[in-house]
Amino acid sequence: MSSEPLRPAWSQSFSPEALQIVMTSGPIAHINPEWAWGGSTGAGVRVAIIDSGVEADHPALGGMVRGGVIVNYDEQEPNKVRIEPEEQPVDIFGHGTACAGIIHSLAPEAELYSIRVLGRDLKGRAVQFAGGLRWALENQIQVINLSLSTNREEYYALFHQLTDDAYFKNATLVSAVNNYPVPSYPSLYSSVISVAAHEGKDPFTFFYNPSPPVEFGAPGIDVKVAWIDKGYTTSTGNSFAAPHISGIVALIRAKHPTLTPFQIKTVLFACASNTQAG
Amino acid sequence: MNQEGVESESAIVNQLKRLLLAIEVSGRAILPGTNDQLLQSIVDAAARIFGATAASLALVEKDGQSLVFRVATTVPGVESVVGMRVPIDRGIVGYVAMTGQPIAISNVREDARFNQDFARSTGYMPQSILAMPLISNDRVIGVMEVLDKINAPTFGLMDMELLAIFAQQAAIAIDQSQHFDQLGRAVLLGLQTLASQEPGQYGHLLGALQDSQGYSEQDQEILELADLFYDIRMLGEAERRMLLQVTSAFRDYCRSRPGQFGFGRI
Repeated sequence: MSSEPLRPAWSQSFSPEALQIVMTSGPIAHINPEWAWGGSTGAGVRVAIIDSGVEADHPALGGMVRGGVIVNYDEQEPNKVRIEPEEQPVDIFGHGTACAGIIHSLAPEAELYSIRVLGRDLKGRAVQFAGGLRWALENQIQVINLSLSTNREEYYALFHQLTDDAYFKNATLVSAVNNYPVPSYPSLYSSVISVAAHEGKDPFTFFYNPSPPVEFGAPGIDVKVAWIDKGYTTSTGNSFAAPHISGIVALIRAKHPTLTPFQIKTVLFACASNTQAG
Repeated sequence: MNQEGVESESAIVNQLKRLLLAIEVSGRAILPGTNDQLLQSIVDAAARIFGATAASLALVEKDGQSLVFRVATTVPGVESVVGMRVPIDRGIVGYVAMTGQPIAISNVREDARFNQDFARSTGYMPQSILAMPLISNDRVIGVMEVLDKINAPTFGLMDMELLAIFAQQAAIAIDQSQHFDQLGRAVLLGLQTLASQEPGQYGHLLGALQDSQGYSEQDQEILELADLFYDIRMLGEAERRMLLQVTSAFRDYCRSRPGQFGFGRI
């Protein structure tokens, strides 16, 4: 029986009373948002949303959805997944569309790809999730938004390998941590940019947390988001914070195409609203 | 009935009594009063604490393809959702079950579909929803949700944290009741076998009662433990006391060294 003690939520590090000022120095102190993404639209950067699908014709996405796949669980196949192309992606819940909408609002010219890993069955979910990640890495996706994670120990190694592959292929993984603090993979790996929600509303205001594993806080509370059937809703959860950072990463990648994931993380650290040159 | 038959019948009655007692003891050991009433009280308390109009709890079906509502608060004039089934690929409840992630949504009615067919069929369309997964042994076993916070348009992160505590209690209760159900089924199987036997021919009864297919490995161990406790209890008062002391000391020792025997997660 699993009965983990409840610890303070990941988001607490970003509450006004807990927020710490972090000092930067040397050349890092000179990096600022204007240098990092000023004038960038995300043009040419391929961003994938691993989620419930993306409603390609939703007005909030400005026609930027360039394609997608459905990752089905299939025991007969290698890696236990069957990839099905989806030219005009759809969303079965609305969550993936919400994430895509946030990314598009920050990086309006980034190309969006839907990787649907949620289906009719709970069985094989983590394997589908891994299959989606693998597809993204094989298809030159540069920014991957993961609002999903697994807390099952047996997938620890698999996701560790995939996140390493992502790093070596220069793909930046942005992952929402679970809304309550249980171990979740891959959001807690060092090469992944892990994000929790803060209470602010400005989409470009994000914070750095000097006490990992959760490193960044972005808006995720009462966020107006796109939803299925060309609808909108107001939603709360860390999974809406991650796409804010994904959007900013797309802007940075478009302006500075040679930056590696750890360099991008350093740029984010330097541009966080709670860092100060010292 | 001949003498032999009477003897074997009295022996089987004793054995049956002993097994039923063992199961009762094991039931107590693993099941501190868990049943739908407990789940109902968890859901009712959650609704009260959140100032929510309604709250409910749905469990994932064995095939992993749908959820069935097990308990819910009563909303006057609204059909109860208890017993209703929703496919896992639909609605907020499905999304939470799929991802294991809680979510809070508001402005539900005007703006998006949110499994509205289902909401319409119950006559209740919520404005705001907070849905939390019930997780046991790293798997999502169900979803608990509270609907329409009174005097507030949305549920916030603090609500999410608080509901997580309720969901954790509910998950533990469900996990335990499922073990008890397995034991209960095993007993029922034994009694059915008993009923179908000729008087005096109860040879298969014990076999049926102890049929390992009826138990999980964990249940089997608990049954053995209960059986052992029963044996020692029957030895006499001094032995009972000694058992209590030794067992308590062992428990305290284990608690002081979590993880040493692989018990750290219990």
